[in-house]
Amino acid sequence: MLVTWRFRERRSLIQAFDPTAWLIFYACFVASTLFFWDLRVLAGFLLIAVIVVLTSGVSWRESRRAWLFIGGFILFFAFLTFLTGRGGIEVYEQERVIRTLRAPFSLFGWRPAIDLTVERAVFAMSQMARVFSLASMTILIPYSLNPAHYGVAFRRLGLPDKIAYAMDLTMRFIPTFGQDFQLTLDAQKARGYELEKLEGGLVTQVRKLAPLVVPVTVHALAGSEDIIDAMDLRAFGTGPRTWLIKLQYQPRDYALMAFGVLLFLVSMAASLLGLGGFWVPPFMLQAFGF
Amino acid sequence: MSGSRLISVIGALLGVIVFFALIIWIGGQMNPDLQLDETATLRYVFVGIGMLIVFVIYWLTRDNDAWVVGTRQVVYMAIGAALYAVFSYLFNGTVFAVPSASQVSLRPAIAVPMFFGYVFGPVVGFFTGAVGNMFGDALTGFGLSPQWSVGNGLVGLIAGLAMLYKDKRRGLNNVLIASAVLAGIATLLWVLNPSLSNMMFFDVEAGIFGDATISVFAGLSAVVGLVLVVLVRYLFRDDADIAAAVTWAMLGNFIGIGFAAISDIWINGFTPAVAIVGEFLPAAGPNMIFAAILVPILVRSWQSLQRQTGR
Repeated sequence: MLVTWRFRERRSLIQAFDPTAWLIFYACFVASTLFFWDLRVLAGFLLIAVIVVLTSGVSWRESRRAWLFIGGFILFFAFLTFLTGRGGIEVYEQERVIRTLRAPFSLFGWRPAIDLTVERAVFAMSQMARVFSLASMTILIPYSLNPAHYGVAFRRLGLPDKIAYAMDLTMRFIPTFGQDFQLTLDAQKARGYELEKLEGGLVTQVRKLAPLVVPVTVHALAGSEDIIDAMDLRAFGTGPRTWLIKLQYQPRDYALMAFGVLLFLVSMAASLLGLGGFWVPPFMLQAFGF
Repeated sequence: MSGSRLISVIGALLGVIVFFALIIWIGGQMNPDLQLDETATLRYVFVGIGMLIVFVIYWLTRDNDAWVVGTRQVVYMAIGAALYAVFSYLFNGTVFAVPSASQVSLRPAIAVPMFFGYVFGPVVGFFTGAVGNMFGDALTGFGLSPQWSVGNGLVGLIAGLAMLYKDKRRGLNNVLIASAVLAGIATLLWVLNPSLSNMMFFDVEAGIFGDATISVFAGLSAVVGLVLVVLVRYLFRDDADIAAAVTWAMLGNFIGIGFAAISDIWINGFTPAVAIVGEFLPAAGPNMIFAAILVPILVRSWQSLQRQTGR
């Protein structure tokens, strides 16, 4: 059984554009975001993402689980970054310590300590803005792009027919296999299987993952025969493919694609000029007496 | 591949290389203090290099049927990529708290590109690893590390190169020797730098955030994986498929993950020792355990399914 994403027609900014144009803009947006660690620039990307989210027509009720998962994930990693500075050592060299938290115990004479620094705090905020921009733009895609348009949209990106169709099928299979996994997990749990309590050595633990990984994989392969037969019966791959749906670019689609490409080129140029690197707001330095 | 299409592919690859060479040159002119590792440009350069590697492998063996893409391969590509994305998302430690031992986190998803590559060929393997990793990262919200997607694609592609040989046992010893050399070099670097951090290990409860000194087990994991693979080859010496699957999957894992880790020398400014000991060993070593255990189980299950369906 093919389970689908929660797509439906909505009055939204995303659906006002051609899906190919939106995918090009999305790719440019994601690639551009990666050039920056400057909180001011990332705030701009965040603003675009927030506008897209608010005009997406996707309700909190239908997307709650996705937002809670991604939101929790982003906050968790931003908090880790704040405590440890992980990832930040590559973008800043100097750290100004606000406070040092020392553990109330010591291990073999060593007392664990965590430095809270201005740079770690700002880097955590920058990371949060960056990841939230990327994640929120990504979350909206399955809710907003019509599954019937996946294949033709990828084809118009210049991919060969077969690769475009493989991408189309990949996007369609993901929710199906997600549900298959859940069903398999429930079935195994009914037999006493506990994923959270795998015991034994490393090799034993790996072997105990097989009751989940193998049935889902084999079931997917067994079910593929019907799809292969259906495609073969329609002479898939024997010649250039035609698509049932014809998509036409409108002037606004060209404008969106031009904006996306321009955004990418400007971001790359700014990055090469040394702009958009890590930035600490002066008021934060003043507030902490630096 | 027809002549015009070949010229298009070579032209596109050359175009990408010239584009980035110009960017780097112009960037240097505009900004004498340009630090390329502080920009995202190098990520895309390494994607180009990865694709070039794929193209060279294809070009050298282009007459082999392993590269044929029919209906079956298209569907398997999609299934492999979707499964890899779903398993990556579920087992990344945020959805299910999958246990870990001695700094070795369990990532069973890597068995998917290895298995799909070996059974269905290099194109299916590459697509499964690269596209599956991309979708998996998108599902998790990890952002974008395109060079790691290409690295994962290489895992599946190399595993699929077994299909170039009609006799599955042919070339296996050479593959094993190449893998042993790579595992030996990486382990030697760990022996020389035992105090480096395991950058792939996080344990919040213990206050470890990729900064703990690499454990002895993680440092030896590539060798442990190699021994496991040799053991599986010995135990299943009568089953050429299993012997070939684990051996090619091992080489694919070392080359694919090695490509991604080594690219971080330039992208993140790591020293070679940090990239190999801190990234490559903790990622590629444990993957070998999955290659040795889950891949044979999947291959056996596939053999049973083939017998049942008669296809």
